[in-house]
Amino acid sequence: MNATVVQLTARGLLGRRRAYLLLALSLILLLLCALVRGLAGQDTDITVGILGGFAIATIVPLLGLIAGTGAIGPEIDDGSIVYLLSKPLSRFSIVLSKVAVAVAVITVFGSVTVLLAGLVLSGTSDNLAVGYAVGALVAGIGYGTLFLLLAVVTRHAVVVGLLYALIWETLVGSYVPGAQTLSIQQWSLAITERLVGSDAEQLGVTSAVSLGAAVPMLFFVIVGSVWYAGWRLRSLRLTSDE
Amino acid sequence: MSTLLLDNVSRWFGNVVAVNDVSMAIGPGVTGLLGPNGAGKSTLINMLGGFLPPSSGSVTLDGEIVWRNEGIYRRIGLVPEREAMYDVVSGWEFVLANAKLHRLNDPHAAARRAIETVHMTEAQDRDISTYSKGMKQRIKMATALVHDPPVLLLDEPFNGMDPRQRLPLMALLQAMGDAGRTVLFSSHILEEVERIAGNIQVMVAGRHAASGGFREIRQLMIERPHQYTIRSDDDRALAAAIIADASASSVELVAPTTTGGRQLARGGPTTGIREAASSLHVQATDFASFVRVLPQLASRANIRLYEVSPADESLESVFSYLVAR
Amino acid sequence: MTTGQGVIHDLGYRHYDGARAGRRYIARALFLESAKGAYGLGRSAKSKVMPMLLLAAICLPAFIIVVITTVTNADKLAGDYTSYVLNVSLLVMVYVAGQAPTSVSRDLRFRVVSLYFSRPLERVDYVLAKYAAMTTAVFVLLALPLTILFVGALLAKLPLDEQVPDYLRSLVGALLVALVLAGIGLVIAALTPRRGLGVAAIIAVLAVLAGVQGAVQAIAVEEGADTFAGYAGLFSPFTLVQGVMSSVLGAEKVLEAEPPGALGGAVFFAATFLVVAACFGALLLRYRKVSI
Repeated sequence: MNATVVQLTARGLLGRRRAYLLLALSLILLLLCALVRGLAGQDTDITVGILGGFAIATIVPLLGLIAGTGAIGPEIDDGSIVYLLSKPLSRFSIVLSKVAVAVAVITVFGSVTVLLAGLVLSGTSDNLAVGYAVGALVAGIGYGTLFLLLAVVTRHAVVVGLLYALIWETLVGSYVPGAQTLSIQQWSLAITERLVGSDAEQLGVTSAVSLGAAVPMLFFVIVGSVWYAGWRLRSLRLTSDE
Repeated sequence: MSTLLLDNVSRWFGNVVAVNDVSMAIGPGVTGLLGPNGAGKSTLINMLGGFLPPSSGSVTLDGEIVWRNEGIYRRIGLVPEREAMYDVVSGWEFVLANAKLHRLNDPHAAARRAIETVHMTEAQDRDISTYSKGMKQRIKMATALVHDPPVLLLDEPFNGMDPRQRLPLMALLQAMGDAGRTVLFSSHILEEVERIAGNIQVMVAGRHAASGGFREIRQLMIERPHQYTIRSDDDRALAAAIIADASASSVELVAPTTTGGRQLARGGPTTGIREAASSLHVQATDFASFVRVLPQLASRANIRLYEVSPADESLESVFSYLVAR
Repeated sequence: MTTGQGVIHDLGYRHYDGARAGRRYIARALFLESAKGAYGLGRSAKSKVMPMLLLAAICLPAFIIVVITTVTNADKLAGDYTSYVLNVSLLVMVYVAGQAPTSVSRDLRFRVVSLYFSRPLERVDYVLAKYAAMTTAVFVLLALPLTILFVGALLAKLPLDEQVPDYLRSLVGALLVALVLAGIGLVIAALTPRRGLGVAAIIAVLAVLAGVQGAVQAIAVEEGADTFAGYAGLFSPFTLVQGVMSSVLGAEKVLEAEPPGALGGAVFFAATFLVVAACFGALLLRYRKVSI
C-alpha cells in the first residue's frame, strides 16, 4: 500500500459530484428510516424489510459501484493513470491502495449509515442494527473490490456492475434460486444472520447461503479481485485519445 | 550508457500494422522521432515506455525488457501525449506526489528543482484544472524530470507551448543530451527537431525510413539531384559552362526578383530584396564531382562567384523526400 | 519559387451556393441519429450489445406469456399489460441509466456541443431532439413487448373488445413512462461529462426512488394510512404513471394503493406533467451555457 496513491485516489474519488451523490444516498436512507419510524414506530419486520430489502439490496451495491469504479475508472479512461504506472511501484500496491480508499468510503457512507439507520429504526433490539451494519461492511468490501476489478478490465464497468448488482442478484435471483449462491448480497446476509443470533429465522433474516459457504466465497472474491486487478494492471495498454 | 534497443519490432492492431519491423538503437544524445501522422511514432514511444507490448521483436533498455517491468521506471522519464492529469491537486502537489512515488530521498527538494527547471514556480500552488495547455505541458515535463532519469521519452512535448516557453526547454533537452542522457522526442515541428536533435529517426507508414543526421541522410539520397543556388557576376556564362559539364542535369536562370524567404532565413545575404539580382538554380546529379568542378569552371571563365548555397539541404526537404518516396 | 505578389491558385474547389436545409432538418437529423444510437444502430458493434440484450430480456417474458396462453387455451392473457410494465421496471431503469449518458455525455465530454450550436440549431431544438429521441427509444423498449402480448392475444383468439382498449391504454402508459424516465435520465446525464458517473447517478436516483416508494407505501398500507399510501405512489416514475393510468384512463388497479379518488387522479396527472416540464426546463437551463 502506498500513501501517495491513497492520497491521490481519495482526492479524486471525493471530488464534488461523486461526494454529493454518495452523501445523498446515505442521507436518503437515514431520512427514510426516520420517516418510517415516525409513521410506524418500532417494528422489527419493517426494520428487516428496509435494512435487508433496501439498504443491503440497493444502497450498498450502489455505493460499491460508485466508489469501486470511481477509484480507478476515470483515471484509466482519460489516461492519467500513466502517472501511477510509470513509477517503480508494484501494481498490486497500487490496487491495494485504491481498494483501501474505496473500502473506507463505502464503510463510512454505507456501513456506518446502515448502523445509524438500524438504530433509528429499532434501537439495539435483536442485534439487527449491528448485524446489518457488519453485513453491509462485508458486502461493501466485496462489491468495492469486484467493481474495481471490473473497472480495470473493461471501460463499461459501471454498466456491467449494474447488471450484476441489480439484475443478476435481485431479478434473476428471485426467479432462479440457484443464482443466489453467486450473490455477494446473500453471502453478506449469511453473516448478518449469524450475528442476529437465534431469532434470525423468525425475524426473516435469512440467507440462501450457509455461513460455511459464504465466508470462503467472499474471501475468494475479495482476494481474487485484488490479485487479478493487480495482474491486469501490469499489462494495461495505454492508447491515445480515442 | 543507456541505450534503448528495438530489435525487429512490429506491432499490429488487428489488421492494421502500426509499426512494421523496426530496428533501431537510441543512444545518448538527443534523438528526434519524425514522421507524418499515423506513421507509428506514438505507438513506438508507448512501446519504448513499457505501455504497449510489441507484437513481435523485443524492446530493451540496456538489455532489460521494458514491458511489465516496473523497476525500469527508475531509469525512464516519460512525458505522455494525453493531456489529462490529476486536476484536483495543485502543480506543486502533483510533482511532489510524483517525486514521492519514485521513492526519492528528498522528494521536496527534487520537486522544487523540477518545477524551477520548467519555470512553473509562480503558478505551482494553483489547481491543475486552472492551467493553460502550455502550463500543463510544463508540469508534465517536471514530473518526468523529477527523478533525474538517464532516459527521457517525450511524446510531442512542445505541443501547445508558445515559443518563449519552448526555447528554455529545448535548451534543457539539449543540455541533457550533451551530458550523456538518452533523450528521445517525437515532433511534427521540423524546426525544433532540426535545432536540437543530433540524430533523427524518420518513420513513414510504420516503417523505419531513415536514421542519422539529416545532412547524412541527404547525402545518401543519391537518386535526388542536389539543388544549388548560385550567384555570380555573369550568370549566363556560368550557366553555359555548368550545363556543358556532365555533373549537372539542369540549370535554370532565375530572373532578377526578390529572393525566396527561405534563403533569407538561413542567414544568406540580404541583398536579395534590396538589389534585384538574378541567380542560377542548378540540379547536380553528381554532387561530389560538381562541387569539385564548379570552382574550376568559374575560374576558367573568369567569373566571380558571390554565393553558392544548397537549396534543399534542410530537414524539411529531406523529410518531404522521404515521405513522398 | 515565390514572386513579389501573392497568388491564389484555383484548385477546383467549388463553393456550394445552393439551397441549405434549415433548423428543422438539422433537428430531425439529430433526433434520428440519437434515437438510432440509443440502440447502437449506426454505431460500433460493441454499443449494440447492452441495449439489444436488454430489449431481448424485456421481450422474453412476453413471449413466454403468449406461449402459455395459447398452449393452455386460457380466456385471458397469463399476464396483463399493466403489470407487465411494472414488472420489467428494473430492466427499463437499467436501460435508461446506460443509454442516457451515451446520448448526451459524449457530446459534453468531447466539447462538441458548441459545434452543434455554431450551426443554425437553437438550444431548444437540441434539447427537444435529444429528449424526443430518448423518449422514443424507451417507448420502443416498452411498446415492443406490449405489442407482442397483443399479437399473442389475437393469435389466441381472445376477445378483441377487451384486448384493444387495454393494449391502447398500456401504450399511452408506456409513452408517459418513457417521457418521465427520459427526462430524469437526460437531466442527470447532462450534469456530468463523465459517462460512468452519469450511469451510476441515474440508476442511483431511479432505484432509490423506487425503493423509497415501495417501502413507504408498504408501511403506510400496513398502518392503515390509506390516503398517504395512495399519494406515496408519487415518488417513483412507474407508480406515478400507473396512478395516472388507473385513475384517469381507467386501467386496472394493480398497485397496493391507488391514488384516492378524483383529486388523487388530478394530482398524479399534474405531477406527471410537472415532472416532464421540469426536466425539459432543466435541460434548457443546462445547455444555455456551453464551453468550447
